[in-house]
Amino acid sequence: MKVLVAVKRVVDYNVKVRAKADGSDVDLNNVKMAINPFCEIAVEEAVRLKEKGVATEVVVVSIGGKTCQEQIRTALALGADRGIQVEVEGNAEPLVVAKLLKGVVEKEEPQLVILGKQSIDGDNNQTGQMLGALTGMGQGTFASEVVVDGDKVNVTREIDGGLQTVALTLPAIVTTDLRLNEPRYASLPNIMKAKKKPLDVLTPADLGVEVKSHITLLKVEPPAERSAGIKVADVDQLVDKLKNEAKVI
Amino acid sequence: MADNPCPPLAQLEAIVGAGRVFTDADSLEHYGRDWTRFYPPAPCAVVLPGSIEEVQAIVHLAAAENLAIVPSGGRTGLSAGGVATRGELVLALDRMNRIEDFNPVDRTVRCGAGVVTEQLQQFAADQGLFYPVDFASSGSSQIGGNISTNAGGIKVIRHGMTRDWVAGLKLVTGTGELLDLNRGLVKNNTGYDLRHLVIGAEGTLGVVVEATMQLDQAPKDLAVMVLGVPDMPALMRVLGAFREQLTLSAFEFFSEPALAKVVAHQGLPRPFETEAPYYALLEFEQSGEVDMDAAMAVFEDCVGEGWVLDGTISQSLTQAENLWRLREDISETITPWTPYKNDISTVISKVPDFLDEVEAVVNAAYPDFEIIWFGHIGDGNVHLNILKPEGLDIDLFREQCGEVSKLVFDIVQRYGGSVSAEHGVGLLKKDYLQYSRSPAEIEIMRQIKRAFDPQGIMNPGKIFDL
Repeated sequence: MKVLVAVKRVVDYNVKVRAKADGSDVDLNNVKMAINPFCEIAVEEAVRLKEKGVATEVVVVSIGGKTCQEQIRTALALGADRGIQVEVEGNAEPLVVAKLLKGVVEKEEPQLVILGKQSIDGDNNQTGQMLGALTGMGQGTFASEVVVDGDKVNVTREIDGGLQTVALTLPAIVTTDLRLNEPRYASLPNIMKAKKKPLDVLTPADLGVEVKSHITLLKVEPPAERSAGIKVADVDQLVDKLKNEAKVI
Repeated sequence: MADNPCPPLAQLEAIVGAGRVFTDADSLEHYGRDWTRFYPPAPCAVVLPGSIEEVQAIVHLAAAENLAIVPSGGRTGLSAGGVATRGELVLALDRMNRIEDFNPVDRTVRCGAGVVTEQLQQFAADQGLFYPVDFASSGSSQIGGNISTNAGGIKVIRHGMTRDWVAGLKLVTGTGELLDLNRGLVKNNTGYDLRHLVIGAEGTLGVVVEATMQLDQAPKDLAVMVLGVPDMPALMRVLGAFREQLTLSAFEFFSEPALAKVVAHQGLPRPFETEAPYYALLEFEQSGEVDMDAAMAVFEDCVGEGWVLDGTISQSLTQAENLWRLREDISETITPWTPYKNDISTVISKVPDFLDEVEAVVNAAYPDFEIIWFGHIGDGNVHLNILKPEGLDIDLFREQCGEVSKLVFDIVQRYGGSVSAEHGVGLLKKDYLQYSRSPAEIEIMRQIKRAFDPQGIMNPGKIFDL
């Protein structure tokens, strides 16, 4: 069984992002970039399927500029077999990404596509679902457990108030939630091996997709600063402030 | 000074204000001890001044009453330098925690003694700069305490000890006099640099009340590597090989039992599946693919030589942080076992032979005790922790460890090393000072103490007896 995993290059989770002075975008100058955490979980899941003998090949795809090859190499070091970069400059929006992924799916014909449920930069949570609609494949989103069983995959989903398990007929799409697994570190020997693994570069034209933008970013601004708290002298003062200033009691 | 007079509580309160003098049992225990657990705290009172003038007034009062003072910072010390066992007055600097007068040209900033290390690190980061002294307890330790113990930590190999970052400091001596030492000057060859006597003096010369700290340029993209290593000599070869190609900002090590405990208790993933007797943690600035390629090449060489069994490198800041935690969480993780800590060092070139001998002695002497090795091996400094078996009486345990320590310290002495590389002497290492310092040196130290503190009221009984 072939598994396709999509990964995205995003600002490192631990970076405190700042808006550009002119408010046109987030400042990405000299900022540490990394693989989107949910995508990392997707890679780990695919590699585990391979280690269990369920998957035979793990193909990792990323959509972006040349720099996203770093994240593909990371995924290859984690255990993916080969990489595909779809060369797109700038920030592709979810619909474009989903269309490009559909092109890759048609080309590669994987039995399972695993994506992060969302990327931590755009927070859109749309690509997996859109890919489901475009390809007509079944989707199991927010997965906390993935079990392949013959021609089906059982996906346990984290939903409000509990868990729901859906059985999907393969080929299918899974998007990962945080508790699906804990990704491993890339070992140094594997990082070196990853350098020799094949990485193909495609253009949107190769996949018959026209990159169009439907969204215009108007403004990026930091959240309002919280004012400092105060210490109250006693309970009476607290009650007074809650009543008269906060007006909550 | 065996018996202190009753503390003049009313006068203390007159100086610092109501609610800032404590004598309740909880406060006495909290403020009266540090992270060592061998000495029951027994201070007479705790006072929290809010200004240099208040500290001076307290010292004047203590001098008049012949009352001993234990200056107290973040209380994270590991040699009981900040423990009040003999009815002393604890002078806690927690309230003096303001960061002021940042000077971008000098890259200095004025800190109250009670500024928490992490607070200064954060302040520096907010200015796009860097305060490089860092260690596991940076979230609690205070600048005044860092200075008084000349705290080291995990970045010493590149950035040195606290001493290297103190541009100036203010000290209230045992007579209550305020000394303003060095005033932030880069160059100041005007006689003895008293600032450097105060750094590492463990509060025996007076109370550090304020410091002008030097900040540094922020490092760019730091990569963290963890390597599995077959034995201690290989660790040093790995250090040599990487240092030839890269500027390391850290080279730390820990043993498999240390890693196993941290993984089990902190819920962190192992760095890789291969189990190695020792692990090295390296940090370096990656200014592009060149450094990364160099690091990879060295790694391959080390594997080829049999010095490295396996390894990993951080791919994100989160991974870098989690890899660091494998090293930094050791101390906290093993605290429940009441570890007996040895903090020994020698010059880097002698480390392999030195460790061979120490390891042989320790393994022979403690066949039944669990031993945890970790430390700043790139600085020639190792922490040897002996865990107390459950059920063994704590005094008996300390006594047994003390006996073996003497064997270890004999080796330290032969290698010209230090019995306390960065933890200080306090009470815990006082009896072993002569292994690292000559009688003549200790006598001069006593004279220096008398010059700063003629009545002997500043943290008496720490480092040495008068």
